[in-house]
Amino acid sequence: MWAVADGMGGHSGGDIASQLIVANLTELPFHQDLDQRSKAVRQCLRWTNRRLSQELTVTDDHPGITGSTVVALLLEGNRGVCIWAGDSRCYLWRGRRLYQLTKDHSLQQQLMDTQQISRDEAGAHPAAKALTRAVGAAPELTLGLLALDVHPGDTFLLCSDGLYQGLGAQALGNALGLASPCKVLEDLFDVVLRGPARDNLTAVVIRA
Amino acid sequence: MGVVYRARDLLHEQYADPDPYLAVKMLSEAFDESADASALLYSEFALMRRLHHPNILRPYTFEVDAAQGRAFITMELMRGLTLDQLLCERPLGLPWPELKAIAVPLLDALAYAHSRGVLHGDMKPSNIMLSEEGLRLFDFGLGLAEEGPTQHLPNLNRERLNAWTPGYAAPELLEGGPLSANADVYGVACVLYELASGKHPFRRLPATQARDARLERGLKAPRNLPRRCWPALRMGLAFEPRQRRISAAQLRDALGDVSPWW
Repeated sequence: MWAVADGMGGHSGGDIASQLIVANLTELPFHQDLDQRSKAVRQCLRWTNRRLSQELTVTDDHPGITGSTVVALLLEGNRGVCIWAGDSRCYLWRGRRLYQLTKDHSLQQQLMDTQQISRDEAGAHPAAKALTRAVGAAPELTLGLLALDVHPGDTFLLCSDGLYQGLGAQALGNALGLASPCKVLEDLFDVVLRGPARDNLTAVVIRA
Repeated sequence: MGVVYRARDLLHEQYADPDPYLAVKMLSEAFDESADASALLYSEFALMRRLHHPNILRPYTFEVDAAQGRAFITMELMRGLTLDQLLCERPLGLPWPELKAIAVPLLDALAYAHSRGVLHGDMKPSNIMLSEEGLRLFDFGLGLAEEGPTQHLPNLNRERLNAWTPGYAAPELLEGGPLSANADVYGVACVLYELASGKHPFRRLPATQARDARLERGLKAPRNLPRRCWPALRMGLAFEPRQRRISAAQLRDALGDVSPWW
């Protein structure tokens, strides 16, 4: 299992939320069966959501509003499962084509879905980047879930918005086609950090 | 406010202790600048040290890392499920025999702490664990001693730093009132109601908002709770402290068949 969690900006404790998600996922016992593992990950994320949204001790100075995105990828043999909340993404590079496996839980995506407008039009909304789902943001958490067949040589990229916002599909594809996952990461980070890089970046590259 | 790590005692390990693990609690970095942070942690340790009950977490030592100047408590390492985890796995609540097996030791632990003059101050599902060795109540970080030798130790000054968990704090705490055994009873009653029904008694609202919305009028007995136990639990959920005329020991007896409470 691989995961990326990105603490929500503008809220205190986003760093704590993302660390808690990863720490709790790390503690999960290993299940050989992919379906069981997927169920355990979803259960763990729902529990972490409860911890963050209902169980935190708060003070006047720290009102306890906190949350984090998460995207997790589970692979076993020729099967894979992607689980996510928020706008951290999972991409798949297969046969020299780039697929975005996750659909952002953001206002921009919601506007595109409900009002049938283009990405650019929706992006013009002043709160376009606001998340509609995140771990810890609301008492109930509905996770995105995608099951897929995995082919030999498939390359997956899990990343925070800080990475993909600074890159077009062309740049992503160019990097993901490189020989080793380490080189892919180096290339992606180099490209983004040469630009304005207004946000922090986190990414994991997995080759099946 | 606190952060707890799982740690290995290297000395114990050297002597081939098969289980050299323990828990280390320190205050989070946000409190590093606070002059009385160590004193607060010591007060928590001193409170816990007064309590000898099988269902209350045992502290081992209070120490200060001289190099870092940071205080920490070492404690028994628990392995198991906290009640908030259990509630996620059992969203419809627990059947009565399972609920009773949690409620009685939990209330016994709280009643015992109260009998020793120690208040918990932050009763909530994530501060209660079903460990391999039975139920454990822990985290007395917001607690204080009403009486006895530890009452003069520095406690969390609620006038300076008012800390609570919104869904489980009694309304008088949210309004700046002092901590009392009665306030602990409100918190534990919310936990028990949730275990019985899978739902928070007041739609997860802070008690003051629930009271203003008069949600107590719609409060129904959880299906999994025997009817004879409901009057006692309901009294524990009273918003008005003067109406909450039931102690943790009385609630334990009402739920544990020891004696009729009404």
